[in-house]
Amino acid sequence: MSITRREFLKSNIAAVTATTVGIPVSQVVNAAEAEQDWQWDKSVCRFCGTGCGIMVATKNGRIVATKGDPDAPVNKGLNCIKGYFLGKIQYGKDRLTKPLMRMTDGQFDKKGNFQVVSWERAFDEMEKQFRKAYGEKGPHGVSIFGSGQYTIQEGYAAAKLMKAGFRSNNIDPNARHCMASAVVGFIQTFGIDEPAGNYDDIEYTDTAVLWGANMAEMHPILWARASDRKLSHDKMKIVNLTTYSNMCSDISDVEIIFKPNTDLAIQNYIAREIIKRDAVDHDFVKKHCVFATGPYDIGYGMRGTDKFAYAAEKDTQAKERKVTLDAAEAIAQRRKPGEVVKQGNTKKPVKHWMIGFEDFKKGVEPYTLDFVAELAKGDPDESLASFKKKLKQLADLYIEKDRKVVSFWTMGFNQHQRGSWVNEQCYANHLLLGKQSKPGDGAFSLTGQPSACGTAREVGTFAHRLPADMVVMNPKHRARSEKLWKLPAKTLNPKVGSHYTKLMRDLEDGKVKWAWIQVCNPFQNTANANHWITAAREMDNFIVCSEAYPGISAKVADLILPVAMIYEKWGMYGNAERRTQAWREQVAPPGDARTDVWTLLEFSKRFKLKDVWGEKKIPGLKSKGFKEGKLPDVLADAGKMGYSPEDSLYKVLFENDFTKQYKWPDAIAKGHANSTVEDLGVDWFVEKGLFEEYAQFGRGHQHDLAQFDVYYDDKVRGLKWPVIDGKETQWRFNERWDPYCKAGSGFDFYGPALKALPSGDLDGVKNKNKTKLAGKAKIFFRPYAAPVEQPDTNYDMWMTTGRVLEHWHSGTMTRRVEELHRAVPAAQIFMNPDDADKRGLARNDLAWVESRRGKIKARIETQGRNRMPKGTIFVPWFDEGVFINKVTLDATCPMSKETDFKKCAVKVYKV
Amino acid sequence: MNLSGIAVSVSPRNYDETVTRLEELSGVEVHYQDPASARIVLVQEAESVDAEVAGLKQIKAIPGVVVAELVYHYFADDPNLDDPDPNEFDEASGISKSVLQRLNPN
Repeated sequence: MSITRREFLKSNIAAVTATTVGIPVSQVVNAAEAEQDWQWDKSVCRFCGTGCGIMVATKNGRIVATKGDPDAPVNKGLNCIKGYFLGKIQYGKDRLTKPLMRMTDGQFDKKGNFQVVSWERAFDEMEKQFRKAYGEKGPHGVSIFGSGQYTIQEGYAAAKLMKAGFRSNNIDPNARHCMASAVVGFIQTFGIDEPAGNYDDIEYTDTAVLWGANMAEMHPILWARASDRKLSHDKMKIVNLTTYSNMCSDISDVEIIFKPNTDLAIQNYIAREIIKRDAVDHDFVKKHCVFATGPYDIGYGMRGTDKFAYAAEKDTQAKERKVTLDAAEAIAQRRKPGEVVKQGNTKKPVKHWMIGFEDFKKGVEPYTLDFVAELAKGDPDESLASFKKKLKQLADLYIEKDRKVVSFWTMGFNQHQRGSWVNEQCYANHLLLGKQSKPGDGAFSLTGQPSACGTAREVGTFAHRLPADMVVMNPKHRARSEKLWKLPAKTLNPKVGSHYTKLMRDLEDGKVKWAWIQVCNPFQNTANANHWITAAREMDNFIVCSEAYPGISAKVADLILPVAMIYEKWGMYGNAERRTQAWREQVAPPGDARTDVWTLLEFSKRFKLKDVWGEKKIPGLKSKGFKEGKLPDVLADAGKMGYSPEDSLYKVLFENDFTKQYKWPDAIAKGHANSTVEDLGVDWFVEKGLFEEYAQFGRGHQHDLAQFDVYYDDKVRGLKWPVIDGKETQWRFNERWDPYCKAGSGFDFYGPALKALPSGDLDGVKNKNKTKLAGKAKIFFRPYAAPVEQPDTNYDMWMTTGRVLEHWHSGTMTRRVEELHRAVPAAQIFMNPDDADKRGLARNDLAWVESRRGKIKARIETQGRNRMPKGTIFVPWFDEGVFINKVTLDATCPMSKETDFKKCAVKVYKV
Repeated sequence: MNLSGIAVSVSPRNYDETVTRLEELSGVEVHYQDPASARIVLVQEAESVDAEVAGLKQIKAIPGVVVAELVYHYFADDPNLDDPDPNEFDEASGISKSVLQRLNPN
């Protein structure tokens, strides 16, 4: 490259950057000349739930540059380091480009080596194995491991194929590991999923309280906005609540290091202070809220049996059945220390009832500053007085009149044995103060994945969900879905399928024998992994893995399907502030890689209605109008609707009269190609047809999406649903902004779910008659509960896991970018220097981390970005060479079934 | 060669001192300054993106730098972006040898 061209590019880059951040540019730079022959197009980042806008430049079928989209309201032109390398993730040297199957002598062999096969051969074996499992075990003998990284159309096609086609609810996304507890918090509190507020809250607020959310590393662009707010607004305060000191602490005003699970107690301390200081917004609470609680004896989401447990696991496992209360739990739950509590509500953990304000007050009464400080202080080197002072400061900030407060959280709350409770508690405090659903005021759940909201939750790729917040257990919801999908009555299966972790347990106990992995890496991302890898490799089952790179799940699988990555397909994502965004296909997928939508539709061609809509067995199905354990034969009713038993699922579910009305080519493509359409050889716009069919579920039902074409308009950078009359909704439940609120209500928590409750007191239901709660939010009392596994003399340290800035999840994509890989090549054991010293370990020494379930080896890091208190280590999970999920515990929040990756007991010793 | 545009916010109290320190970094040019908003625009040039990331970390480590985020990334001339190594490509199966080695360790 010549010097002049280099200088030219530099000036252009500087000018673009300056314009992006609002610095006036005097010098006029001719971008057209610097970027000659490039084609720029708007798109969305592939990584976290923030949903940054990215401009992508292509030239001769390759991506040559990316820049933050200055017109994107989310990131206003900035990129974090992962987004910065987005253009490169597709070009890793070990990209999968051909289907690969385990073979011996030309035949499929589970013990064979991977060999290249044709797509035809791959689908033949997939179909054969599917029919075997489906025939033997019924619809719940097959499963899909889905994703919060599915595009909306991928998730919709997968859910429709499974639920409407195969009549199986065994589809669950890795989003289960990420924000299921947040969902339960939303549904329980508001009756509808997803945040009330939006990212603009950052620029309106006076206070950001981070609860187990390392925003500086995990949501850097939102952190940049919060940092800017701090620089430009004197009143702005930031509080960082965490179990170890991290990068967020650098600009925080208060850092609170607490012990695992004690966030439950800290929330109740704040609630108690709000009441003691008479800071309750009584008018708001009276008009818009009720109080509620539920049972405490709900277990820890582990297996109910220890039949499959290793010997060392059995003591932890036993606590699923009964728990001996420790001193703090006894105070917190108004019981006696040492009391043995049988876990009687493990099957119905979500049930709850109304209580009075006086009951709530009685519930939080034990959570005095003395009690909570003693229990929660997480750094042994900090004095109790200093910790108390910080807790008081925290309460002061929440309570201060006219101070706006936003609480942010991610995995610290969600990956938690009482994750649903702690989500509910956070809303409780905001509601008590009337600081909710207002600009700059509210509890704001951030998400980890790019379309955890837009796809996993809104489309409903969970084992219990249907689109637009509907659920398979509800007969009205099934009937509405059957009508929109043009299915005979009782096609849909009323029995909830297995959640993500349970799908693994089902593989282990032989209930599931066929699994298809899409857009995720379940064998690396699921806790207690030794069990599941053995099950996949040793049991009689068939595992298909759609992948772009050979990660752990691909290696564990029997068949690997090479799939297109983000800019090799058309797609849409929905971010954490309800913003739906779209992009076009920019470049062609390499080799024989195909889009996920194509793989789903192509596979559906292999099944006829007579294969799937006859009578089917579903073990454990009990539902009004259904024979026990059976789904009825619906072929006769299908005949009346004009279907033939010989019709393929592809024709019935996908290429139907509705979807076919959207023709390809389409002017909105602006000349961009569509691999799905080309590889299917059709003349309809598959992604548009699927989207418009899906959008019918939400329109008029509080989840209104705009027309497909609107999202591709040059001026549009995504829209926050509900989109009514072309206008997005900024703050939900607030009459000023949300058209769904009743006129004159001021605030209307109109979510329809779980809005009729019996009533009682803290100990149980006293009056079974249900009260209707239309328009109200619930303020839950939830007690502190101790973690199911805690350090003891043998496993003497806490271990927590999570992400690092440079890598995304299991690193399958980011570790392909040499530079990101070299920036953080291997996961380390972050440890307090004194703890290391005590074990004869120095920085960079190799050490074992061992739990009851497994062990890994890695190097010790006593410095760097994470500073650990004594007694706790942090090991990130991106590195398959440091397979930390062999060590973690698969306990979940019993309500949300989300795994608690944040706490288990380990020992650390020198290799 | 890789070029990146970086937007930096600095603490207004140490504005001048921070700008001087940024100017001293090798491979980094200060292109725009806006003392009113305490923002600076840098362009970084590096042989590899590896060096670029190290550079960004250096920038973030300077006292007074509050935020340093990337805006623009040009990498068309990056030699690491070549297609799979032809010597490594297995004609018979049509796939890179290292992929099969990784998947079939035995």
